[in-house]
Amino acid sequence: MGVRRRLVAAIGGLGLLAGVAACGGGDEPEGASGKLTLWQYYGDPSSPTGKPLYDLVKKYDDARPDVTVDVRFIPYDDFNRTLLQSAAAKELPDVALIGAFDTATMASAGIVQDLGERVGEWGQQDKYFKTSWATTQVEGKTYGIPHVADAYAVYYNKQLLQQAGVQPPTTWAEMETAAKKLTAQGRTGLAISGIEGPEGATVPIIRMLAAGASIDKVDSAEGRAGLDQLARMIKAGSISKGALTWNEEDAKNQFANGKAAMMINSATYVNILRKENPKLQWDVALLPKDRTGQTFLSAENLAIGATSTNPDGAWDLITWLQQPAELQSYLPVRNKLAARNDVPDSSNDPVRKVFAQQLEEAWAPDEKLAPKASEVMTHLQAALQASASGSASTEDALKAAQKAIDDSLAK
Amino acid sequence: MAITVPQERLLTSRTTLRRNNAAEYLFLVPAVLFVGFTVLYPLAYNVVQSFQDVGIAQIVSGQAKYVGLDNYADQFGRPEFWESFGISLVYTGGTVLVTFVAGLALALFFHRDFPGRNVLRALLLLAWVLPTVVSANVWRWLLDGTYGLLNTVLGTEIFWLGAPSTAMIAVVLASAWSFAPFAMILLLAGLQGISGSLYEAARIDGAGAWAQFRRITLPLLKPVSLTTVLLCFISTFKTFDTVFLMTQGGPGGATEVLPVYAYKLAFSFYKFDVAAVATTMLLVVPVVLSVFYFRSLRKEELA
Repeated sequence: MGVRRRLVAAIGGLGLLAGVAACGGGDEPEGASGKLTLWQYYGDPSSPTGKPLYDLVKKYDDARPDVTVDVRFIPYDDFNRTLLQSAAAKELPDVALIGAFDTATMASAGIVQDLGERVGEWGQQDKYFKTSWATTQVEGKTYGIPHVADAYAVYYNKQLLQQAGVQPPTTWAEMETAAKKLTAQGRTGLAISGIEGPEGATVPIIRMLAAGASIDKVDSAEGRAGLDQLARMIKAGSISKGALTWNEEDAKNQFANGKAAMMINSATYVNILRKENPKLQWDVALLPKDRTGQTFLSAENLAIGATSTNPDGAWDLITWLQQPAELQSYLPVRNKLAARNDVPDSSNDPVRKVFAQQLEEAWAPDEKLAPKASEVMTHLQAALQASASGSASTEDALKAAQKAIDDSLAK
Repeated sequence: MAITVPQERLLTSRTTLRRNNAAEYLFLVPAVLFVGFTVLYPLAYNVVQSFQDVGIAQIVSGQAKYVGLDNYADQFGRPEFWESFGISLVYTGGTVLVTFVAGLALALFFHRDFPGRNVLRALLLLAWVLPTVVSANVWRWLLDGTYGLLNTVLGTEIFWLGAPSTAMIAVVLASAWSFAPFAMILLLAGLQGISGSLYEAARIDGAGAWAQFRRITLPLLKPVSLTTVLLCFISTFKTFDTVFLMTQGGPGGATEVLPVYAYKLAFSFYKFDVAAVATTMLLVVPVVLSVFYFRSLRKEELA
């Protein structure tokens, strides 16, 4: 009797385990219930960067009574890793809002679906800026729809520039002189983010592009000219040595509390500066030029998860979100620019106009570079770090970076 | 002492013993499953992955080719790997040294009786209890070049985390700061185990404080000290959060310890296979050290 009871219990236990496993499988077609999942890294509903998206999705929810969208916020640092793990578990979201430069990686790994046929029927691909659209392309196939775009430009403190009798610089040579003039007791001329890793590579990339360098061939006269100047400005103190430990938020704080007269940053901080530092008098200018004045494109694409059970629903959500009429009111609140050229900006905001103009000259890694963008950018930041701290000459730093880049791209 | 038990009784008692054991072992099942799934399986999976060709596509498909020792050959042939290994050793060595010295000093201090001792000791333990995210960020703020408290106090403008040498010192101090209270507790327990009569006898023989410390405290504290050093080494060697939060491995890779190096390989570069090699090394080094430790401990017991 005793043994039998134990046996029954054991079998019952096994059955329970099996039941749990079956539930985890989720074979049930989700389309029936009209439920969609959307993963993003903008923020939670209470944050200024997250709320606009939740509001926009709620509008969609209200417009489609038979559908509910479950929006999930995953912080940026964990986002790609979570997507990967979910892909391995075959539990990807229906829609994922992914980094534009990560799209190629996600596509080649089979994490997001080919949208070619749907896009063909939709026929709106020509409405998008070329650089934005290019980030969705891998081997002639389309793996996402650009959601928003963002560009980098120069923020400057009007008061400080006036006091020093300095005009917003239009060339990099002017930038160096201006930054030097603006550097005074306890204040630096220009704030940038130069932190370890990809984030700190944005300004070196902008500077090298301006010199006419190509980002996969940085060990060149152009690459050297670009990096040399940044390192020189850091050594001279016109850019704080602390920039090597700052992320973009830190650079913004330096500018916001008057510790830096200028900063190179994205449009993300426009509303934040206005709200948090209403007394600060500032404006934005186009990036200084050398041979070119290209900005770094910062953007996200909407993609459909490879294991989505409701791709039609997902596509409906994506195309609804991209309607010019919706973007028109969403983008200014979100501090982002349109990735398509048929969205009227009725905000009449001169600052937004500068960013929009800057966006016309946006750079994004090409198809060859995109899957390794994070790696290449890490190597570039290391070159800035080495040359700025004086642990290597610009020449040697770029040689080392080039070797690492070649190594990354070869695989 | 020998007890003779009739053969028959021995048999029956053995069978009941076995049956009872079977039931008792059942209660172990949840714990074994838990440890198996959360510790052993990932550990084994990681080691297996270090012998496979695993990139982002293989993670998704779940199918990876075995490549033998290729990943190890790749990593062992890379100067970055050895640089990171060396940085790990410097960081760990520095942290263990500072932790031990500070922990011993604190333990000696708290070994004496004085009013408020318990309260003070409990407050010190806070450093150890504090989540690393909090302590690492506090250190980052304290050491900030422009608005950091340290610069304000010293009247300097040094970017502690922006230069390779000072960044290493900073992460070592921050780690030692949080580990020292833990070392103190262990060493304090060791100190309390030393009989007071030894010191009394030494005093009668005319030994001074330094002689007492060198001839009695240090030798008798050796087993506890070894344990402290080993535990501290293991937890420091695998530290990721303090370093990552304070410097992200920078500047210019100066504080890129092995766990940070592995993290970058895996989650920035999506090279899971070679990252697994790095994390396997993170496992191997402490295990080898522990073996030496237990061997020396056994020798001491035999002696």
